[in-house]
Formats: sequence, C-alpha cells, structure tokens
Amino acid sequence: MTRLDTDILVIGSGAGGAVSAAHLAAAGRRVTIVEEGPWVGPDEVEPFGLDEMAIKYRNHGLAPALGSPTIAYAEGRCVGGSTEVNSGLYHRLPDHLADEWRTTYAIDEWSPEVLARYSARIESELSVTTVPGAPPASSAVLSRGASKLGWRNVEFARVFAYDKEGRGTKQTMSRTFLPRALASGAELLPDTRVLKLVRDGTRVIGAQARRSHPGGGVERLDISAEHVFVCGGATQTPALLHRSGWRRGIGTGLKLHPTIKIAARFGHPLDHGDVPMHRITEFSPNLTIGGSANRKGQVAMALADTGVPFEEALADWENVSVYYAAIRSEGSGRVIGLPRLKAPVVTYSLTEGDMSRLARGLIHLGEALLAAGAIELYPSVVGGPVVRDTSELGVWWDRVNRSTAGLMTVHLTSSVRMGEDRSRAGADSFGRVHGATNLRVNDASLLPDAPGVNPQATIMAIAARNVDHFLSGA
Amino acid sequence: MDRMGTVTVVRCPAMLWFEREVVGALVTSEDRTVRSSVEAFVDGSLRDMPELLRAGVAGESVLLGAYAAVLRARGRLDRDGVIGLLDTLDGLSLPLLGQYPRLMRSLVLMAENELTTGSAADTRRA
Repeated sequence: MTRLDTDILVIGSGAGGAVSAAHLAAAGRRVTIVEEGPWVGPDEVEPFGLDEMAIKYRNHGLAPALGSPTIAYAEGRCVGGSTEVNSGLYHRLPDHLADEWRTTYAIDEWSPEVLARYSARIESELSVTTVPGAPPASSAVLSRGASKLGWRNVEFARVFAYDKEGRGTKQTMSRTFLPRALASGAELLPDTRVLKLVRDGTRVIGAQARRSHPGGGVERLDISAEHVFVCGGATQTPALLHRSGWRRGIGTGLKLHPTIKIAARFGHPLDHGDVPMHRITEFSPNLTIGGSANRKGQVAMALADTGVPFEEALADWENVSVYYAAIRSEGSGRVIGLPRLKAPVVTYSLTEGDMSRLARGLIHLGEALLAAGAIELYPSVVGGPVVRDTSELGVWWDRVNRSTAGLMTVHLTSSVRMGEDRSRAGADSFGRVHGATNLRVNDASLLPDAPGVNPQATIMAIAARNVDHFLSGA
Repeated sequence: MDRMGTVTVVRCPAMLWFEREVVGALVTSEDRTVRSSVEAFVDGSLRDMPELLRAGVAGESVLLGAYAAVLRARGRLDRDGVIGLLDTLDGLSLPLLGQYPRLMRSLVLMAENELTTGSAADTRRA
C-alpha cells in the first residue's frame, strides 16, 4: 500500500476535473488528479474507431440507462474524460435556462451575466471557432435541408484549433487544461480508480484508491487530502458518493438528452471522418437536430436499427450518413452505486410527452433530410419503415413507441443538482455537497437540468466559477 | 489487455460457448484475421459491460446455449440455424429476449465493418 498526501484531490480529469485542477494549481494549491482511465496520446487512436471505443470509452461505449425503453449511453473513461471522445461542439447555456435554474433551484450568485463572464474566460483559454472555409458535405446537408424548409440552422463553434492549411485539432483536456495543471505543479495519476472516500463526520479526510500498472499488477493507494473535488461525471460521481455514505439528494434527478436517429442515403458521397457541426435550431432547446459519427461501423449499426434488410444500403455506405433528433426530456432517472459493483445501476423514465416529442423529432429530421436530397431514410425504429418521400413520413407517428424506438444519448447531467433548495439539490450553489464541509462536486452532475445543447461549455464555466468561490474562502 | 494492430485483444476470453457460436455465425467475412479480430472485439465488449448487464446477457447465453446444444446434438444446428434462432428471438415481443440478438448483431456489425474498411483518413472526402 502506498500513502499519498495532497492539499486538494481532484477525482476525474474531464471537462470539470481538468478545469478545476488547472485553476486550483495556477492559484498555487497542491493538487493531485486521479483518473480511472488510461493516459492515451492525443493521436494514438483514430477518432470514433474500434480502438477508441475499447480504450477511451467506459464499457466500450456500451452501457444502458434501464427503463422502457432502455437508452444506450456512452461516456469517456481516459485522461481528459469525454472531451477526448466527443465532437467538441461548444455552446453556451441559453440565458433563459440560466434564469430558470436560478429561481427553480435557488442558486446563489448565479445569473446569465455571471455565466457569460466565466464562459468568456474559458473561451479565452481554449480555441473556440467555426470551421474555416466550406463545411463538410455531411454537415452542409443539415443547413441545406433546413434552409429549404425555412428553418433556423447554425454552424456550432467547436473547441478546435486550425493550422494554416485548415487542419483542425480538437482542444481536448489532455491538450489544454491538463498540461497547464501539470505545468503549475499538479500531479496526475492515470489508471487509478477511487473505491471510496474516507470520512470523519462531515469531513472527508482522504480516499482509498486502486492503481493498475500498465505492465500488470495493482497497487492500493491511500490518499490524504484537505479538500476533495469529485468530477467523475453524472454516473460515476453519485456512485462514488453513494459508496462513501452520502445519499441525500445524490443520484436522483438524472437528466439526459434522449436521441433518435436516421441513417440517410444520398445519391452522392459524403465525408465520414468527422461529426457534422451544423444543427437545426428551429425547435430548440426542446428539440435539436444534428449529425453523428458516421464511419462505416456506425453507418452499419444505424442501418441495422431499422430491423429491415439493409445490405444494399450498406454496400453504398459512402453515400450514407447518420443524423439525429435529440429532445429535452420531461422524464428523469436515478444513479445507484452498489457495494462491490464497479458499474452503478442507471435508470431513466421517459414520459408519454417525451415519446411524442421523439416521434415529432424523427419526422422533422426526416423532412429536413428529404429536403436536402436524401433518397432513403432508415429510422432507428424496429420495423421502420424505410421512407423515400415526405408523404410517407406520417407512418412514423404510430411506429415510434416504447418497444420499437432505439434510443441513445451521450449527454448525462443533473445527478447531484446544485442549489440551496435541499429538497431538490445534493450540493449547494457552488458544488459543496450538502452536509459535508470539504467535499465538492464540480462536473456535469451539478447542472440542475439538461441544457438541450452539448453541456461541455456549461460544465467548464460552472467549474471555473466554483473554483473561484472556493479560492475566495467564502 | 494487449493491443495488437487495430484491435484490442483480451486474454482469457470471457465469451461463453453460445456467444462464440453467435459471433461465428454473424461474421460474414471468411478472412481468419478479420474473424478473430471481430471475436476479440466482442469478447472485450462483453467483458467490459456493466456487471449486472453482463450477468443478464450471460444468463440468456447459458439458456440459449443449452437449447442450441440439444439442437446440435440432433444435427439440427449449423450457421443458418444459429441465425434462424436469433431471428426468432428478434421476432418475439419480449423486450429482454429481443435485445439479445440486437446487441450481438450491433457488436459484430460495428467491428466487422470497421475492420473491413480503410481508416477515416483514407475515406474519400466529398
């Protein structure tokens, strides 16, 4: 067993953990970051490929939120967390949601202006920009379809930096905030899973962890810390708190963006190495239409979701791309950490309204794709049917139901909501766990609700705000 | 876990007999390298599943495997027979049983199609 001692222990190295660690270390605090997943060189594996799924994703990208229907979800598990595997889309939290959250959850010192200030700071520390030149064909499809229908659409900015030749590099945490944290003196321990936090009454005094060595062998670590920031994401953070004895307001209220897909076949080739950056925002924030990873493997899976013969379309896969409709859900879920089990139990209940919105979203997505020139649409609905004309889209109204819809998500939030209303929130307005003196959460779990857009920008802004509050000694 | 080439190879495979039969039946390529790589990917995915999900899938595999073993002993289970069994499960209106063939098909489809195409960098850009 090895004993370590630190001032601040940051558990998790994704968007919340990396920002926390970098800002704490820059302020001169002694910081140790532990990350369950491995360190993987930024260019070591190909984006959205098999190696990435095996090495950088939790559960090979295969985990279910149990319910009717079950919703598949994917999250990163490597140094840098989900920022290493997502599409890098960056979108500030809409002002009206910031206002709504403040009043509903009684969040102190929280306003659109405060959030905008921290967002601007994060943006100055990252490179947030749109694609130089024309967008790729798979993205332009969304813009073209929406424009023909008179619908609002926008090219989202991404956390990318471009060289003079226009080659983009995603500004993941392993390329940005984590190197800065290390340069300021922070220590990073990859392959280290925290089993439980050690508490003394309302104080956390450290953590028990297990570190796997790449050459084999496992080492037990006992880490003493003055303060602990838990930043493991919306499933792992509440699970760790449960295993450590904190339960009130923890793991309830889970939110996600249920997503339904279409594999769309065109009469011309599309690009397959990136994720479309355009989004149709006509129905936002309650319904957003966008594009997914669309390598051959993902195209094959999306075609198969329909459950009808798809071999001919798969043979033509270079003309096929995958698109989605994602909703803000009225439903909610739970995360339950169980002793001796590595994976928490995650559940999610969709409302009838959610199911109706998903069906509507699928039809709107189909309208946009057909308007953009798609010749065949394969929905992620068992039995389909495959649609080739707008007059056929109405059939999907009756076909989307709890036993046929194939749903997934990559955005999970709200499992330790922040706010002063203890009946709803597991942490205070700045992420300190209610009932604990030196234990903070600083990740997607804190968002009181799903934002309707990629949450990375909101997570980072909140993390920076909460660290400032901590450093102020308030 | 070792990385070999483009796939992750897991030692001490966690796949059960029937799961291996299913993967063998679903892979369309005759290339032995592709077949073993797909099997390795599915093996890694099953091994890496949340424990409760893995327990459920393994339970179904044991039950289906027992049934399949009887069919095989009677000479009535070849590759087409395995796929026919999956199709039957797919057609049942029992969500848990219906998800089993979908899960296995998704894993095999993803792996085989990724392994039999060029890298994204090689993929034609429109």
